[in-house]
Amino acid sequence: MADPAAIAIRNLTKIFPVPFRKEKVTAVEDLSLEVQPGQIYGLLGPNGSGKSTTMKVVLGLVSPTSGSTEIFGRSSLHVESREAVGFLPENPYFYKFLTGSETLHFFGRLCGLSGPRLAARSRELLALVGLETAANRRVGSYSKGMLQRIGLAQALIQDPRLLVLDEPTAGVDPAGSREIRDLLLQFKQRGITVLLCSHLLGQVQEVCDRIGILHQGRLVSEGPLESLVSVEDQTECLLRNASPELLRSIQAQAAAAGAEVIQIRKPQTTLERHFLKVTHGVSRDASTQPSPQHADVHAP
Amino acid sequence: MPTSTPLDPSVPVRHRWFSPARLLAIASNTLLELVRQKVFYFLLLFALLSIGSSLLVVQFTFQQQFQVLKDVSLGAMSIFSWLLAVLATAQLLPRDLEDRTLYTILAKPVPRFEYLLGKLGGVLLLLALSLALMSALFAGVLAWREQTQLALIQAATPPEDLEAAVQALRASTFTPSLGLAILTIFLRAAICASLTLLISSFATSSIFTVIVSVIAYIIGHIQPVARDYWLHSLPAGQGVSPLVQVFLGFVALFFPDFQLFNLVDEAAAGNTIPFPLFAQTSALGLGYAMVYTFLAYLFFSQKEL
Amino acid sequence: MRARLLAPVLLLGFGFAKLAPESLLTRVRQSANLHTAPVQISLRQNLSQMGFLAALSGFRAVVADLLWIQAHTAWENTDWGRMKLLLDTVTALQPRAVVFWDGAAWHMAWNASVSALENPAQPRLALRVKAQREFFRLGEDFLLRGIQNNPGRQELYNRLGMLYRDKFEDHARASDAFAACAALPNAPSYARRFAAYELSRVPGREAEAYQTLKKLFLEGEKNWLPTLFNRIRFLEEKLNVRPDERLRIPEGR
Ligand SMILES: Nc1ncnc2c1ncn2[C@@H]1O[C@H](COP(=O)(O)OP(=O)(O)O)[C@@H](O)[C@H]1O
Ligand SMILES: [Mg+2]
Repeated sequence: MADPAAIAIRNLTKIFPVPFRKEKVTAVEDLSLEVQPGQIYGLLGPNGSGKSTTMKVVLGLVSPTSGSTEIFGRSSLHVESREAVGFLPENPYFYKFLTGSETLHFFGRLCGLSGPRLAARSRELLALVGLETAANRRVGSYSKGMLQRIGLAQALIQDPRLLVLDEPTAGVDPAGSREIRDLLLQFKQRGITVLLCSHLLGQVQEVCDRIGILHQGRLVSEGPLESLVSVEDQTECLLRNASPELLRSIQAQAAAAGAEVIQIRKPQTTLERHFLKVTHGVSRDASTQPSPQHADVHAP
Repeated sequence: MPTSTPLDPSVPVRHRWFSPARLLAIASNTLLELVRQKVFYFLLLFALLSIGSSLLVVQFTFQQQFQVLKDVSLGAMSIFSWLLAVLATAQLLPRDLEDRTLYTILAKPVPRFEYLLGKLGGVLLLLALSLALMSALFAGVLAWREQTQLALIQAATPPEDLEAAVQALRASTFTPSLGLAILTIFLRAAICASLTLLISSFATSSIFTVIVSVIAYIIGHIQPVARDYWLHSLPAGQGVSPLVQVFLGFVALFFPDFQLFNLVDEAAAGNTIPFPLFAQTSALGLGYAMVYTFLAYLFFSQKEL
Repeated sequence: MRARLLAPVLLLGFGFAKLAPESLLTRVRQSANLHTAPVQISLRQNLSQMGFLAALSGFRAVVADLLWIQAHTAWENTDWGRMKLLLDTVTALQPRAVVFWDGAAWHMAWNASVSALENPAQPRLALRVKAQREFFRLGEDFLLRGIQNNPGRQELYNRLGMLYRDKFEDHARASDAFAACAALPNAPSYARRFAAYELSRVPGREAEAYQTLKKLFLEGEKNWLPTLFNRIRFLEEKLNVRPDERLRIPEGR
């Protein structure tokens, strides 16, 4: 028997009754998808398209109207399906009266950890998300980005095989959201499966292997990232130190071969990179790889 | 950036359907939340009432002084523990829901009944702790007044009457029934807490929860009258309109008899509470609390978060 | 099944199941006399709305205390009528608190009665004496009602004995009251002696009294008190007990 999917959603429909009203809200309609182990799966969609609802059903927080969901082959209706999953809800908020470290201890105890093992684990995670210095501050005084990071640490406390992250970078500044992106890539390296939803398409594109797009509760597009975004009849070619003569000769060759050069231009660095560079320049990628002088050649 | 070392993967994930450690984690966290909300300031008020009342009545005989001291202290214990039970419980679920901390907790392998029991357990711990502290304060004041009176009696009583006078003094201060009465205060508060939990499991606001819980408490005190009337006038009818009849039945069936948990007046008056009576009362109280908690679970288990 | 539907059904089932234990426990408490009677509706007239509500929801002890303090103020102002009214309310609210029955009786029979006898507004002695006896009777009434509510408490019998002895000077009833007191738990050791002393003052019951006193005497030194010797000597004279049969009272006592 093959390994079960990390998440399997089969014909999920969720209808919310609206109190004191006749009409109902269909949040998710006949949704089927699978997330394979090791993948980073991006669930996209406009606000109100049913992303959070889908995640809540997967985690057993909301019951499906019809259909079923499973985590590593265990039904979401059973508590044990939550043994191997970490969840970061949308706009997470934790007990204000606990410090960061106490928060991790609390969630660790919920997962059956205790003693020195838990203490070590929570120190490690605080370091991982960069909250060592704030470990003994009350969570009530944390900024949005710090809340998101303690939320991530909390989700990781029992070293789950699957992470479910609802808008992990919402309200986080670009440096912070870059750090979260790096963490996600690191998790992927360690074989942790991630289901993530976001409306920052650029970011999703950077990390996700597979994408599903929800619209009004229905899955309207699904597949591996490349197959969804590549323009099949075009080819991109980046050059460094290309002389104008070389470019002219390429254009000539292309014309001779019957292809069309659509555009030659200097590549744009992303606004995000530029922002990071001028604010503090901490972005590792931007500082270690100086932007090459290169040109974009689009050929048919 | 340090990488986290994974926990030992060779240990298979084995889910336990009930774990005392998880329950304790939730209960102690709830207690911590309440303690950090500085609820214990009410103890100052209690001390003020207890000491104040005993100084207010120094012109009375010592029996009357102790009666007033006990009435006020035990009455304040009843009211404070009830208020704590209702107000602390009413905000438990709404607060966790509003802050979405409930999502993070229930997304962990925590069964919903464990979460609910843990929350209730936290309130019960708070109640036990505050009743213990109030009892200690009360006992301190009572012992202090007893010593004061003892000195007065020893100075003013002829030797042949001294023994009887001291005996009378001792009889009007500490009795074992006082302890049993305080336990019934805890029991009643525990029932109120579980009742409030039940209400908050389906209520949409904590104000609603508090109001309904207070009304239930008041009705619970006239329940025995309604029950007696309903049970014993039912066959004869006795000219009671059917509407009143239905109302009495409703009160008798749907509300607990809170009068049964009022052993405080007896203990304050120096009467002995027989232990079997206390045990039976406790059993009934436990029954109420368990049924209300179970019903709360019934609602909570189906709650959409 | 939906909780909305199931819960009321379960609650109703539990409602029926709990009726029997509730009634049983109420009966147990009634028979153990550990049941505060529900506040009578007529009380409503005596209490402000707040007090009534508080009384209803189990906090009537504190209301009773406050009224008791008010009664004390009324006493200091020698406002006996108001005081009687307040004392009636206090004892109705807290029928199980013997100190209030006891205190109420004390105020009536010991304080108000003296004040009535010395009332400067009433020149006729006969009427003042009549008023005094009326307050004795009110005191007695409080004690008897208190005993009805608390038959097991020696304190009220003790006070009743004192009332009959010191105020009514009815030694037969005083003796009965002290004897009843002595028979109850936690009674002071003097209650039996007092019962015997009072009996020795009842004409026609001297022989009976002498036997009781003799028994007390023979129990040992703990009862050897001057009054006991006095009453024994008195009865031995009165009953003409032969010198050799008389009790040997230690010298100097
Ligand atoms: N508890 C609820 N009760 C009623 N309607 C809800 C509830 N939760 C979500 N919805 C509705 O379901 C739809 C999908 O919501 P959601 O899953 O939060 O969308 P997204 O996360 O994609 O923004 C929305 O129209 C929302 O109003
Ligand atoms: Mg959402």
